[in-house]
Amino acid sequence: MKASKTKKVLSLILASAMSLALLAGCGGTPASNSGSNPTPNTSGSTGTSPANDPAPLKEGKVFNIYAWNEEFKGFFEKYYKVPEGVTVNWIITPNTEGAYQDKLDAALMGQAGAADDDKVDMFLAEADYILKYTNNGATQDVTKLGVTDFSNTYPYTVQAASDENGVVKGVSFQCCPAGLIYRRSIAKDVLGTDDPAEVQAALSDWDKFNAVAEQAAAKGYLMTASEAATYRVFSNNVSAPWVDANNNLQIDASIQTWMKQAKDFSDKGYTLDCDIWSDECTAQMFADGKAMCYFGPAWYFNFSMGNAQDPDKGCSGDWAICEGPQAHFWGGTWLLAASGSDNPTMLADIMNTFINDEEVCSMLVEKEAQFSNNQAVNAKYANDPNFGNAFLGGQNDTAMFAEMAGNIKFENQTVYDQLLNEGLQANWREYCKGTVTEEQAMSNFYKYINEKYPRIVTP
Amino acid sequence: MDRPKKLSTPRRKSVSYAKWGYIFIAPFFITYAIFHLTPQVLTIYNSFFENYREGLTQIGPDFVGLKNYITLFTPDSNGSIDILKYTGNTVALWLGGAIPQIIIALLLAIFFTSTRLKIKGQAFFKAVIYMPNLIMASAFSMLFFTLFSNVGPVNQLIVQMGWSDHVIDFFAMKFTVRGLICLMNFLMWFGNTTILLMAGIMGIDQSLFEAAVMDGAKSIQVFFRVTLPLLMPILIYTVITALIGGLQMFDVPQVLTNGLGTPNRSSTTLIMYLNNYLGASKNYGMSGAISVIIFIITGALSLVVFKFLTKPQDG
Repeated sequence: MKASKTKKVLSLILASAMSLALLAGCGGTPASNSGSNPTPNTSGSTGTSPANDPAPLKEGKVFNIYAWNEEFKGFFEKYYKVPEGVTVNWIITPNTEGAYQDKLDAALMGQAGAADDDKVDMFLAEADYILKYTNNGATQDVTKLGVTDFSNTYPYTVQAASDENGVVKGVSFQCCPAGLIYRRSIAKDVLGTDDPAEVQAALSDWDKFNAVAEQAAAKGYLMTASEAATYRVFSNNVSAPWVDANNNLQIDASIQTWMKQAKDFSDKGYTLDCDIWSDECTAQMFADGKAMCYFGPAWYFNFSMGNAQDPDKGCSGDWAICEGPQAHFWGGTWLLAASGSDNPTMLADIMNTFINDEEVCSMLVEKEAQFSNNQAVNAKYANDPNFGNAFLGGQNDTAMFAEMAGNIKFENQTVYDQLLNEGLQANWREYCKGTVTEEQAMSNFYKYINEKYPRIVTP
Repeated sequence: MDRPKKLSTPRRKSVSYAKWGYIFIAPFFITYAIFHLTPQVLTIYNSFFENYREGLTQIGPDFVGLKNYITLFTPDSNGSIDILKYTGNTVALWLGGAIPQIIIALLLAIFFTSTRLKIKGQAFFKAVIYMPNLIMASAFSMLFFTLFSNVGPVNQLIVQMGWSDHVIDFFAMKFTVRGLICLMNFLMWFGNTTILLMAGIMGIDQSLFEAAVMDGAKSIQVFFRVTLPLLMPILIYTVITALIGGLQMFDVPQVLTNGLGTPNRSSTTLIMYLNNYLGASKNYGMSGAISVIIFIITGALSLVVFKFLTKPQDG
């Protein structure tokens, strides 16, 4: 009798424990998730607070930053002195397939109801979708917070972070003119020179570029490691945005040129059919890689060309940069001020630090090989004959970027850019590989759009 | 005098047993009502609304009647109806994994339970065949993606051994992509099925096998005349749970094809289709409609399997 009673009690406890465990699983809202899920390395930066910034204001103790990678986190932890008593919380979600936007949207839409410590204070955004956040109440006017001096920044970075009425909602800590990054040794073999000016002369327009691709292929090299490597150059030079005023999809002539080039390069074996972020593409950056050209701004060769910097298998120093066939920019990370932040002073302080603090901006250029968003600092290094980037074989990339930065125009952008760019590349790749017909590839691309953005009207 | 007392005791007992019975099954029904029934009703309700997000702007919910269902069944420019294509994909992927899975599992279950064979080290083999199921499906899929990618070890081996002079793009061919998905599902689930079927076979009265052997039945006759008919209830359960799991196939193809169902959406399953609508646009209307269709298909197919497998027993 006693034993069976104990059994009853035990099984009741087990049963209730099971159902409680089930219930516990759904307690967290997106907002509280961020609080209970601190990413590592946040407390390390808190201890080293300087004496000159006691921050006596009654502001939040937790500063939440949403980001999609560790790039800015690294600079932030090195160069920004966090006020004493404040914990910085990084919520990092990868960018692929819009996962970062999904996570951020959920947090921003729950911002009003979230506890102060769970509120988004600052978030990072890319050019491809920055409009989605600047053109509404999700972000706030930074000039009211104390970020007022934009005299040293590049005008397009301010324009990109402003809404339709010109209200500035954030700043960028980098300026991203992009160029053609080439392997010196391959250029020497194919073109007979690795001098940036001469290589530029040989690749200054698309006809020349295509001709050189043929020469490179004849010598057993690849012109690019992905048929989408040149995509940004074309998509950045469109004459109209992805959708017109009536939400009709429009594929610009410049994008269509890329589509033709991608298929052509793929068929002739000038390139590989793979995503620019895939292992297949980045494997070509190793010393034994065959690809001659990559396209990108400073962050691309600093942050995304890890394989080339590999001490054993890499080929650091065997690279150089020139402007390439068309001027363009790529990406860039904007720091946006979330509405409802409970740390406005710190928010403004971070932004001012990364655009106006000469010392920090100098460190970004000197130590991190960034092209900063401070024209005066960049000019200092551009004119310094002893300054050079070891990865680029001593070439002064800052001088090169300073020249190109003036050409950047931020126009014809839409909120749809990231997923439409990704979707076109992925679906068109199938046509390049030859697994589908051109009609099927386009039909799949339209289906992809209909699923992601019901309001866009596709053919 | 004694009788009424004796009678009243069992009656009271039966009442209290029933009470305990209800109390013990209550947690299931409560959790079922909260986590299954309510979402299910809400899904059906949502499928009649236009309800999605455009950037940070919420559109709807506006009642649109059957519009979402009409959109689902509207043929595209090539004349094919997407949801039917994806249903076909899902069923093909499920059959490719489930048929070998059931056959191999049945064979292994018979070997392991056979009193004639008396296989040694059973515990070891059982643990090993169950192992793949312990890995998360998405991790398993990622592993296969890395193995079979253009720069992966399988392609390196193929080229180095001279079997092919160029890399084979496994993810560009319908046959290989589907084959890999079926293989993964088979590897992950045959151990589980084996153990279920073994439990079923061990539940059959051993004297029946002995009697059959005494009567001179061969192994094959024992299998078809004794084991299989008596195993039917467990087999039906296994097939139906495998079917429901198969129709909900998602993580393996999603991770393997990066969510695109390449090539030409031929490995897009129903749940991947649903997930496409839930991604950027949070389109609860359309995904609700797809869910309802999946629910109907699952119900119908389960019924078919049930009828098909129970029929021989009645006859």
